[in-house]
Amino acid sequence: METLFTEMNNCLIVIPRKRLDTNNSPEVAEKITEKIQDGEQKVVFDLGRTDYVSSAGLRVILVTAKLLKQKNGKMALCKANDQILEVLEISGFLSIVKHLGNLEEAVEFVCE
Amino acid sequence: MDNKEDKQIILVVDDAPLNIALLSNILSSSYKVKVATNGKKAIQIANTEPRPDLLLLDIMMPGMSGYEVCEKLKQDPATASIPVIFITAKTTEEDERHGFELGAVDYITKPISPVIVEARVKTQLSLKKNMEDLRKAYAIIETQKDRMQQELNVGRNIQLAMVPKDFPVNHNYSIFAALEPAREVGGDFYDAFVVDEEHICFCVGDVSGKGVPAALFMAMAKTLIKARASSDPSTASIVTHVNDEMSKDNEGCLFVTLFVCILNIRTGELLTTNAGHNPPLLKHMDGKITALSHRDGLVVAAMDGIAYSEQHVQLQKGDTLLLYTDGVTEADNLNEEFFGDDRLKRLLADWQDGPVKKLVENIIEATHAFEGDNRQADDITVLVLHYSGQKVDDEKSFDIEIGNELTNIDRVIEKFMEFSSANGISGKISNPICMAFDELLTNIISYAYVDGARHEIGIKVSLIQNAVVIVITDDGLPFNPFTREDPDTDLSIEERKIGGLGIHLVKNVMDEAYYKRHVDRNVITIVKNIEQAK
Repeated sequence: METLFTEMNNCLIVIPRKRLDTNNSPEVAEKITEKIQDGEQKVVFDLGRTDYVSSAGLRVILVTAKLLKQKNGKMALCKANDQILEVLEISGFLSIVKHLGNLEEAVEFVCE
Repeated sequence: MDNKEDKQIILVVDDAPLNIALLSNILSSSYKVKVATNGKKAIQIANTEPRPDLLLLDIMMPGMSGYEVCEKLKQDPATASIPVIFITAKTTEEDERHGFELGAVDYITKPISPVIVEARVKTQLSLKKNMEDLRKAYAIIETQKDRMQQELNVGRNIQLAMVPKDFPVNHNYSIFAALEPAREVGGDFYDAFVVDEEHICFCVGDVSGKGVPAALFMAMAKTLIKARASSDPSTASIVTHVNDEMSKDNEGCLFVTLFVCILNIRTGELLTTNAGHNPPLLKHMDGKITALSHRDGLVVAAMDGIAYSEQHVQLQKGDTLLLYTDGVTEADNLNEEFFGDDRLKRLLADWQDGPVKKLVENIIEATHAFEGDNRQADDITVLVLHYSGQKVDDEKSFDIEIGNELTNIDRVIEKFMEFSSANGISGKISNPICMAFDELLTNIISYAYVDGARHEIGIKVSLIQNAVVIVITDDGLPFNPFTREDPDTDLSIEERKIGGLGIHLVKNVMDEAYYKRHVDRNVITIVKNIEQAK
């Protein structure tokens, strides 16, 4: 259940499949960190294929947000299902990371 | 008092010196004789200590007559108990009747026969002595009775203080019990308490004997059961343990009949152990009543080393279980009839669903009404449990054990997803549960073990009554994750930390989340309702 990484309008699109949890998050975090250190400044998490995100997945989002902030970069989330939205809500993440309904809007947002 | 003074005193009252001399003669060898020649003097002597033990009283005297003297003495409580024998020449039946009416104990007619006087005096004095002994004995009994009553009251207070008045509540069952102590206390008791999130324990018992010893014995039984039940899921094992403890140093040879139950409130599985107790009644939803008449061993505390057995009873939704003590069925009325099993069964049969408290009250009221004026001879205890949950279908649950490695979490998730699709559990429900698995199992695997050895973590998933119930068990360090302080979710990106967030999420997305240390294991139970999914 590998996470996909693609590019769109100079943005890094991260597409976790099925889940973002304890077992697959470290690898995803490592890859994103690498990309940001290589100069990536715009990251969008497309959660359209993700069933759930645990706190380990939230950690990936947080690490990404912190790194981008240092580099004056920008990030957004999109297409999260209701349960993931609830998790983002409960954890207070929606107040620090933008969530949008579709990928185009998210890309537009980080490219502004 | 020395021996000389020990002689009993006879007061001879007669206006004729010759008669006095004659009577003194007859009596002075065995008794101390005092004399009075008129009524006034006689009353005076009768009121002087030491009072005479008996009066020989002439009737025809100048001034106050013998009748008047007798009447006066009988009216005064201080002298009323001194027996009076009339000695007189008057011999009509009417005279004798009048004398007896005034309270005389005997009648001797002149001319006096010494043998008769001696014999009658002796008889009356020994009667008087018997009366006094009886009175003393009675006084002793009265004080003893008071003391005993006090002791019984202490026993009753202990007894009533020991039984709970608040009962556990849950949507799967309702339970209520009441105990009415008899005037002379028997040692009934009941108990009902939550063991853990899935189990309640309840019991009814009856200690032989009464008063403080029975009350203390009952307190001991109740305490031992409760203490043991917290870490022992088997009623057989609990009763075996309680019996061994209570058989030790049981010099009073008291014993207790017990019916102990543990109910799994989610599955309706009931474990019962009956140690010499009345068989409880189980009423099914269709109205059919059966008695749980299996016996699992001897009364408790009679003999140590007995291994008790236990029975599995599957409660169905709508079942009502009635536990009681023999104070109910053996209540008797003035016609010496017993209340009996049939009356009890009828009350249970007639009861339509409603508050269980009402059924308990109905039974106690009916018992009292049956007894009528016949005083309640024994304690009356009634406990009713109504089960409203549903049995879990075995196919709707699964167990999995994993070793303490993070990669094994995927196995649990996989198995759970198969279970979810087989049972039509939507993502709305399964996604938060998967997340909870990830959080809880990660926590356990990462922090619960310090020895680097392999450990097994047990996971049980059940689909019950529109709720998914998950129980996770591990043998790691005792730790209740749910007591961790909630993280601050208002911090900025820079200040944010992830620690503690996982448990916070679990608590929020699940409908129920509990922790319990069960002997040497941590037990976490989480519940996600399907109907009211968040």
